[in-house]
Formats: sequence, structure tokens, C-alpha cells
Amino acid sequence: MIETILNVVVDGLLIGGIYALIAVGLSLQYGVAKVLNIAHGEFIMLGGFITWTSYKVFGINPLLSVAICGPLIFVLGFVLHLALFKRIRMTSETEGAFEGNSMLACFGLMFIIQNVAILIWGAGIKGYSYLGFPVSFGGGAVFPANRLTTLAVAVIICIVFYLFLSRSHMGKGIRAAAQDPDTAQLVGVDINRVLALCFGFGALMAGLAGTLVSMCYKVEPTMGLEYTIIAIIVVVLGGMGSILGSFLGGILLGLIGSLVSHIEPGLTLASFYLIFMILLLVKPTGIFGK
Amino acid sequence: MFGKKFFFGLIFFMIAVLFVSSPCLAKDKIVIGQPFSLSGPLASGAASSSGPFYKLWVKQVNADGGIYVEEYGKKLPVELIRYDDKSDVGTMTKLLEKLILEDEVDFIFPPWSTAMLYAAAPICNKHGYILIGGAGGAVKLKDLDLPYFFQVLNDAETQMPELAEIFADIGVKSAAVVYRGDLHGIEYSEFSIPEFKEKGIEVKMQQSYSPGIKDMSSLMKKAKSKNVDAFVVHDYPGATMLGTSQAMELGINFKALHFNVGPCFTFYPNTFGSEVVEGVIGCGAWNGKSTPGAQDLIDRFNKNMDQKMPDYWGGLFYYSSLQHFRQAIEEAGTLDQEKIRDVMASKTYKTDLGDFWYNEDRIFTNHPGQIGQWQNGVFEVIDTGEKRTAEPIYPKPKWPGKKKK
Repeated sequence: MIETILNVVVDGLLIGGIYALIAVGLSLQYGVAKVLNIAHGEFIMLGGFITWTSYKVFGINPLLSVAICGPLIFVLGFVLHLALFKRIRMTSETEGAFEGNSMLACFGLMFIIQNVAILIWGAGIKGYSYLGFPVSFGGGAVFPANRLTTLAVAVIICIVFYLFLSRSHMGKGIRAAAQDPDTAQLVGVDINRVLALCFGFGALMAGLAGTLVSMCYKVEPTMGLEYTIIAIIVVVLGGMGSILGSFLGGILLGLIGSLVSHIEPGLTLASFYLIFMILLLVKPTGIFGK
Repeated sequence: MFGKKFFFGLIFFMIAVLFVSSPCLAKDKIVIGQPFSLSGPLASGAASSSGPFYKLWVKQVNADGGIYVEEYGKKLPVELIRYDDKSDVGTMTKLLEKLILEDEVDFIFPPWSTAMLYAAAPICNKHGYILIGGAGGAVKLKDLDLPYFFQVLNDAETQMPELAEIFADIGVKSAAVVYRGDLHGIEYSEFSIPEFKEKGIEVKMQQSYSPGIKDMSSLMKKAKSKNVDAFVVHDYPGATMLGTSQAMELGINFKALHFNVGPCFTFYPNTFGSEVVEGVIGCGAWNGKSTPGAQDLIDRFNKNMDQKMPDYWGGLFYYSSLQHFRQAIEEAGTLDQEKIRDVMASKTYKTDLGDFWYNEDRIFTNHPGQIGQWQNGVFEVIDTGEKRTAEPIYPKPKWPGKKKK
């Protein structure tokens, strides 16, 4: 019995760590930059492919490739915001109109990134095996080394990012922009730069999540959408714009998925959507939202 | 006596007669249309399996100067037009009708996946276009009973009895059967479980799960706790990759490990390494030893395409069905669909796969193999009987130690 509970909890934490990382990025992009980035999963896919290429072609350790993936995808996100979403924001009459227009733009972005990836890496499935061995905790509890590593890395990244947002000057600017962009602008915050940074950081988190995802799962150009859907569910669960909420929401969704999967694996996906619908009806702001 | 107008009229009349009576002057190529998943969720599978074989066939036919069509008195080269259906059935059906009605292509090649075939077959049949089934193997496809549809790939109906036969032969006593909760998974489980039971193999666990499963560890741990000999997964490549990596990562080694779709593709050993996948069983199956033409096909593919042979389930099926199609056109001597259909339905031709024919229900049955197993970098056919290319390995070797690139 104790072994079963341990298995369910640890399995939930292992997958929840990845969910958390995926969702933190989207939460930042939607909560602050107000872009419901439907193409969020495509940045995860890019992170996965960059890591795959670094490892298989250049022999770079996947954990070290975060140093390549992160800056590359951050720059991509930052430039995209300045070139695309900033302009849409300027030309949209209301915040609601901007959200709608930017979401449509993200749909287009999703197909563009996907097709560029197909041109670069081909449409086929790619993967590699890294730290693919069991780690025993005694009492019959065994967990994969790569998943334990991804959980540890995901938690470290989220903590570092949380500290950055709460302690650094730039982080304070981002939080100010999230709370009241107009007032933040009045007190000297360069709102366009901050929003672009938010989008860039969101993309960066997705890219890092892609690195970790590629250590445990296959990568393919069309993998993004399923992760986007999970990210949206987690963001709603945790509360829009709440970084801590997204992190805890990801962990919670992982635990729920693990528990349902243990009882009836056929209902795992259904349980995610059920939670999503219940939250929208009962607490649309999410568990940690205000 | 005859004025200028008469001569011009006569010349115009002769040219007109020449064009009407000699189609050879008007026809300079055979155009084949194919709605295909070039993007979207199915694109990976399409590119890894049937996709390249149609291109290879076109390349090879054109290298021969084309297909000889008696009606035109010459060889006609082939042009393949592909439209991206974005992995969407609705888009595929629209594109298919566009190819038939607007582009007026001479022939249609199939879209990718069972669901797509299921939707495309009635449309082709309605317009009197031949549809040679490619990647798609649901038993339900056979129930369509459409005169212009030809089923090529094998499916649960032939593969699962063979898997049960092999398991009984090698001494598997018990099994866990897990499957995705869709047409594919349900159909394969409905065929496999009764077959296992009939062969005296105890099914200690049967469990469906949501498509797109992200964690198979609890299923594997549960199966391990029941001490089953065989772990059987009825799912697509995503689950094959996940299941293999998680079994290895957890150090769970079943005496027999079977995945439906995935082991047959070369990206599978390429991802994990051939020593990791040693002994893994999957649906298929063929290899260079299956027929004399099979190795020739592998060599031609590797030489002419920008990738190595990717598919040891359908590859030989797809290409041989096209070789059969070409010979049927040449024998019919026309591009008339009905006449070619009649030839296809009744004639046997030599192909890379060996003798190729369709039965009275237009289903191809001379499969090169049903079940394969990776052994020393080769996807060996382990069917009981003459199609076998190697003895099955049982029990499956343990997973290799740490670190595989």
C-alpha cells in the first residue's frame, strides 16, 4: 500500500514538474503580456529539437544545452513581440481586441513554426536516450533517473525565475506591468520593452521545458499543441498571471493525472478537461488567482 | 476549282480529326493526385512510412520512360501532385474532390491513416476512381465493400492470431494487454485477447488508456506485479517510444515485449540503439530476406531517396501494390478506371514482394509476414511457418546498462 502511494505521488511529481515549467511561461505571456499564446507548444518543440540536435549531432549534454536553448528562444520570443505583438497592441482599440487579434496571430505563428521545423528537421519522430536507467529508493520503489533529473531541474528553474521576478529590478517592472500597465508606464516603466521581455521569458521557459521534455519523450514538429493544451489547463488551474499558481497547478495536475491513471488510465485526459470545466464554472480566476 | 478557303478548311478539318482520333498527341503524361498529411499530427507518421514509397515509384517509373499505354501508343511519364490535408479528414475530402473534379487527375493515390482511407474510399468509388489502400489497416475498412477500393495492408485480423501462435510456440504463459481507447486499440485488443485465451495464454491484465498517454509506468508496474510473461501494447509510435524508454528507465524487463506500431520503423532502433531494442516485437513485417525483390527494394530505396529504408511493416506492401498497378495499366492498355480496375481485381503480377494479387473482395492477402522482432539490427519475421526469417528470441534480453546515445 505504501509502495503504491509512493509510486502515485512520485510519478505525479515527476510529470507535474514538466507541466509546471510549461505553464509558467504561458502564464507570464498571458498574465502580463496579455497574449494567449496558442503557439506556446511550438516553442517547447523548438527547445526539444535544438536539444536533440545538440546531443545527437554535436554530442552536447542535454542538460548543458539549456545554455543554448534558453538564450536562442528568448531572443526569438523578444523579437517576435517587438515585431508582431507590439504592433497589434498599438493598433487594437481595446485590451479585449488585442487579446483576440494576438490569439489569431498566434494561430498563424503556430503553423509557421511547425512548418519551418518540418523543413529543418523533417516530419519524422526524433528521440534519444539520456539517463535511461532506474534509480531505486528501497522498498520496491523505482523511478527513472532522467525523470528525477527533469523534476529537479524544473524546480530549480522555477525557483530561480520566481526569485528573479520578486527580487530583481526588471522583475519588479514586470510585476508592475502585470498589475497596472498604465500606471507602470506613468512611473517610468518602458512598457513595450517589459511586455517584450515577458514574452521572451515565456518563450525561454517553454524552450527549457522542451529541453526537459526531449529527455523523456519523443520530439516531432507537430508535438506542440498537446503541450499548449496542458499549459492552458494548468494556467487556468493555478490562476492567470500567477507564477506560483502555475507552478503549483502543474504539480497538482501531475498528481491528479497520476492518481487517475493508477485507478483508470482511460480517464486521465478526461479528468484534465473535467477539472478545467469545473474551475471555469466555480472559480474562473483559478486556485491562486485574484 | 478549289479556293483558298477550301484548303484552309481542309487543313483545319484534318488537324481537328488528328486531335480527336489520336489522343497520343493530347496526352503527354499521367497525372496522379494525392491528398497527404504534410503537416499536422499525422505528418510524422506519413513521412516515416508510406510517404516516400510513392515518390520512389514515380521516380523509378519515369526513369524507365514512363508507363506504356497502348491507347496512346507510347510510354507516358508520371506526375504526382500532392496537396497537404493538414492531417484533417474534412480538408482531405475537399482536396480529394478538387483533385478529381477540378484538376481531373488520371488517378488517385491514398491519403495517410485508417480514418483518412475510410473517408476517401467512398468518394473515390462515387467518382469511379480506383483507390489502392496504403497506410491504413482497420478491419472495418474491409466492410466497406466498394468495387474501386483495394485493401493492401494487413491488420489485426491476420496479425493477432499470428502473435498468439508465436507466443504459444515460444512458451509465453501469461500476458498483460494494454491499449489506447480508440478504433485501433480496441480492434487489436478484441482480436488479441480471445486468441491468447484460445492458445492457453492467461490474460492477467487488460486495460485501456487515453490516447496521447504521457506516463506508462503505472501500467508497467502493475503488469510486473502480476508477474506476466508478455506485455502487449496496442498503440501508435508515440506510445511505443514512451513504453520502451520507460520500461528501460524503470528496469522492467518482460520476457516478451510487443508494441503494434513503431518497432517496424527504423527511427525506433535509431533512437534507442540496436542493442536496446534487441528482442522487441512489433507488427509488420518484412526484411531483405523475405523475398528476392525485398532486398532489391531496400537497395533501390537507399540509393534513390534522401533517407534509408524507413518502414519494415508497410514499405514492401505499398511499393509492390504500385508495381501491380503499373502492370495492370499496361495490360489494360488504357487509362480507363473501370478497365484497369477489372484487370487489377483478376490478375496476378510479379512484384518485389513476390506474387501479388487481390482476392475476390479486393483484399491483398499474400503478406510477407505479420510479426517482426529486432535481432542484431534486423527486423526479423518470426511468424510460425515459411515466412519466418529467424527463430524468435525468448526471453527478451535484459536492457543494456546506463547511457545509450
